[in-house]
Amino acid sequence: MTNDPEHSRIERILAGEQHLYAEVVDKYKSYAYTIAQKILQSRPDAEEATQDAFIKAFNHLNGFNKQSKFSTWLYRIVFNTAISHKRKNKQQFQSLENTFVEYRGEGEGMLEKTDRKKFLNLAMAKLNEADRTALTLFYLEEFSLEEIAEITGMQANTAKVRIHRARLRLADELKNILNKEALTL
Amino acid sequence: MRKVSESVEEMLLDYLDGNLTKADKEKVEKNIQEIPAWQVRFDELRSVNSALAEAKLEQPSKNFTASVMSRLNQYQAPRTFSLWNSVLLLAGVLVAIGITTVLLSGGLYDNSNTSIDLNQIAIPKQIVKTPLPSFEFSGKIVVNIIIILNLAIAWIVLDRAILKPFFQRRMQAGH
Repeated sequence: MTNDPEHSRIERILAGEQHLYAEVVDKYKSYAYTIAQKILQSRPDAEEATQDAFIKAFNHLNGFNKQSKFSTWLYRIVFNTAISHKRKNKQQFQSLENTFVEYRGEGEGMLEKTDRKKFLNLAMAKLNEADRTALTLFYLEEFSLEEIAEITGMQANTAKVRIHRARLRLADELKNILNKEALTL
Repeated sequence: MRKVSESVEEMLLDYLDGNLTKADKEKVEKNIQEIPAWQVRFDELRSVNSALAEAKLEQPSKNFTASVMSRLNQYQAPRTFSLWNSVLLLAGVLVAIGITTVLLSGGLYDNSNTSIDLNQIAIPKQIVKTPLPSFEFSGKIVVNIIIILNLAIAWIVLDRAILKPFFQRRMQAGH
């Protein structure tokens, strides 16, 4: 059993103090939403998937066996819920080639930075969901490689290799995108 | 220009992550300065690295928590059995086992034998050329199997719904 301080709060929620779940949602919503956003690449879809994931987690709080960190367990639910949403959306209309990548301009002075962000998002869209999420979590520097593997359903011993390869692929995709951009100028 | 090998790429990434020993770090820095292919790939990877490092946490809408809390009661998952329901279920299963055992030992099922003859099923003769077997069923054996299955269910209910939660609560109280 891990020594996660979240466990006592979960015990109280399970004992009937449902209002305490709002504190849990507040604490974990940003990471949860970021994971969903990386997978779905759409703010409304990510918002809906994250809400669904929190509700699912609440309803299965009994099943949390305290062998891992609560956050890892929760983000695994977020990851799976977002993947399910993506599959549902894909069935309706989407193909990878036409993936809509959200891009919000942030003013003239930020042009270079936002351009880089735009190109990075385009390149990221070429990676699969697990690699994209693993990369994001890796750079947020909050999780160990084992935790990243657990959240994204990777084998723990291959997580580092997958993250390395995803970065290499990202560098190649970025190069291709920039070459195409240069040709259209 | 020749591309660098996979092992060089791995080394460059480890360099960017700060995972190299002092000696390896110096070797990589020297190669980046002296070998153009290393330098090109390093610049590409450094660019990706710094772009990814800029990534920030995304924030959901301001009323996110309130929305989740308001939806909690709308989607209650089917609850597992409460302790009281589990005790009732266990008692019911045990009473059923008791009644069946008393009836069985009283000889009620001693003469209730039946057989299933597969030849009674209307199957075209072109398909079945040899006579099909028939199966004899003893009522006593069937009832015995039902009792064993009920015992297994009773044990599962006792374990999952009563013993496990009880010992979990004791363990948590001890911490």
